[in-house]
Amino acid sequence: MSIRQSNRQKGIKGQLKMESALYPSPKKSARPISSPAVQKLTYAEALQQATNQAMELDERVFLMGQLVDYRGGVFGTTTGLSEKFGTSRVRDFPVAESVMTSTAIGAAIVGMRPVLVHTRLDFMIYSMDALVNWLSLWRFKSNGKSSLPVTIRAIVGKGWGQGPQHSKSLHAWFAHIPGLRVAMPVTPFDAKGLLLESIFGENPTIIIEHRSLFSLTEDVPEAPYRIRFGRARIRRSGRDLTLVAIGAMVPIALRAAEMLAARSIDVEVLDPRTVSPIDADAICQSVMKTGRLVVADPAWQSLSVAAEVIALVSEKMGDRLRANPLRICYPDSHTPMSSTLEKEYYPDESSMAEAISSWFRR
Amino acid sequence: MTTITHQSLTDAGVYRDLSLQGVDAGMVKKLYRFMLRLRQCEEALSREYHPADEMRCPVHFCIGQEAVPAALNVLMREKDYLFCHHRSHGYYLAKDAPMRELFAELYGKKTGANGGIAGSQDVSSPAHNFFSGAILAGAAAISVGAALGAQMQKESIVTVAGFGESAMDEGILWEAVNYAALCKLPVVFVCENNKYSVFSPQLKRQITDNLSARVASFGVKSVALFGNDVIKVHAAIKNAIGEALAGHGPWFIEAYTYRWCGHYGPESDDIIGYRTEAEIEAWKANCPIALLEEAMKKKGLLTDTEKAEMLRQINAEIADSFQFAKTSDFPNITNWREVNLSSSSPRADELLADIDFIEPEFDVHQAVKQAKGY
Repeated sequence: MSIRQSNRQKGIKGQLKMESALYPSPKKSARPISSPAVQKLTYAEALQQATNQAMELDERVFLMGQLVDYRGGVFGTTTGLSEKFGTSRVRDFPVAESVMTSTAIGAAIVGMRPVLVHTRLDFMIYSMDALVNWLSLWRFKSNGKSSLPVTIRAIVGKGWGQGPQHSKSLHAWFAHIPGLRVAMPVTPFDAKGLLLESIFGENPTIIIEHRSLFSLTEDVPEAPYRIRFGRARIRRSGRDLTLVAIGAMVPIALRAAEMLAARSIDVEVLDPRTVSPIDADAICQSVMKTGRLVVADPAWQSLSVAAEVIALVSEKMGDRLRANPLRICYPDSHTPMSSTLEKEYYPDESSMAEAISSWFRR
Repeated sequence: MTTITHQSLTDAGVYRDLSLQGVDAGMVKKLYRFMLRLRQCEEALSREYHPADEMRCPVHFCIGQEAVPAALNVLMREKDYLFCHHRSHGYYLAKDAPMRELFAELYGKKTGANGGIAGSQDVSSPAHNFFSGAILAGAAAISVGAALGAQMQKESIVTVAGFGESAMDEGILWEAVNYAALCKLPVVFVCENNKYSVFSPQLKRQITDNLSARVASFGVKSVALFGNDVIKVHAAIKNAIGEALAGHGPWFIEAYTYRWCGHYGPESDDIIGYRTEAEIEAWKANCPIALLEEAMKKKGLLTDTEKAEMLRQINAEIADSFQFAKTSDFPNITNWREVNLSSSSPRADELLADIDFIEPEFDVHQAVKQAKGY
């Protein structure tokens, strides 16, 4: 099943026109395009292209992170940039994650648009003070007079024994904090559009990139384009239940949906694309149609974004639910290394289909 | 030259080395007037703080620490950036941000510098390139980024970070010093070493005072000096700013000074006896304003009439600021989201296309797999 087919079923034009309560009436960009020239790119190449185009469009855009200026770049996402833009704008940074974020804040104050890369999100935890005490509340405490367009790319490992210090997604932490936006692109198309939207927006943004998605390929428009925050996408249309799948759970959810279709369970898969803000309207509209809600979240279950999605649906339309909601998350445990334990720890399409099937037939 | 420590300064007694030799008289008067204005301002705020309790936020007064802000006021231009700690009022005024808006901010009013949202320890004035914050080393670390931005833009702008010795208990400040040195950033670190973190003396937290010696080992030019000699402070910061702007990299200035009042609020907080009366008196005997005033009077640079006229003007400004603050309205936030996140994106509107219709081919059967390695 391709997205082309699922979009036909849903009618993507209508979907994108749907107004979100979070961004009531966005201003149109100067250059709307309806039939863009496309090229086949991997997720990593889409991120590289977005960065390259952003740096071409605005000399105030610059990149910071460990090893960003080495041949090959960060998993192919920064390849060729230092040769083209120089090592001042493509800055290899000391292993000093705290001051890297503070440096980005200061640079943004004087008008720059920094992009930070953390090869693993886990290292970024050193910068929590800069993120929580400074970056997130800068606009607030200036009473809206000073905004910080800082983009932080954080890569999350999964599999090949990444273990507990190379695999944490922590999007729920970041999404909990006012003043930060959090995106979790799954497709190359979304990766490029959300990265560009972050760089040229006015708010601090964390983009969580799951390493396992980096080789995914699809057609991506050549032009620099934007994907607005708080706009979910229906990845597959269905009648029986709404499966809200976040980040790395999306491809798994789509495959599980195919398996479930063979068992006559018609699953609608919704990808929120950004978890802060999250498209509550689109989620509720889908649940209104299906009456059932499952959330697949690549994170620990308790106090997760999955919990938040269930809460917001329950508040708005709990009486319309035909079954108790279901969460499919990781156990409330740190990530094991051994490959046999990884198989136990991470849900796959079979275990997801099984969980949904037994829940559905209860 | 003997190493300066807090002990050596209190042992030395009354300071007698403040010299106006070869110093511009107009500049001396500016330094003096700024310190007098700051002192009057802080004392007036102290009197109003309790028991009126109309300023309902933590306020950290800087009485006794006027010299560094005075020097910065004389030396910094409008386009330069200043970042500082929670004891912020001196720095705020150093960047010529308006006193009225400072007072209104403390009263939590709509007309405050930050609309009453930030208060004393988080006050900023973006229009004057002034920012503060309460988490000790955080603002100093951010100053490195401002300096980097100025360097990348090839702008002749200097950034100054003001912080206390307690900020150097925090690791990020050392990361900041390292990066500033590595990139020769146009930043000046000014450490007001006032000996105490709330009640805790420096030597209970660090192996020695004399942070400047440790910073020097990072490849940063540094100097320790008596921070209540405003002339020396001015000369050191002037030199540092000149070198930073010339592309010679950062300077670290450790100015030994002392706060007269408690950590927070106007009253003494010596209930636990963390510092002796003798120590406080020794520092009061070395008041930065009195030291300069004595030298000015000796040189005939200040008469009693001139001082009285200065005080008249300053007190009128203070009275006006209280009036402004007290009669202003309280704020009213109706859109909590908008004050946290901007809903406009002019740059994206200008540069990025809206894709109205797109059908990306995305094959869900593609391998989704962590690459081998990391």
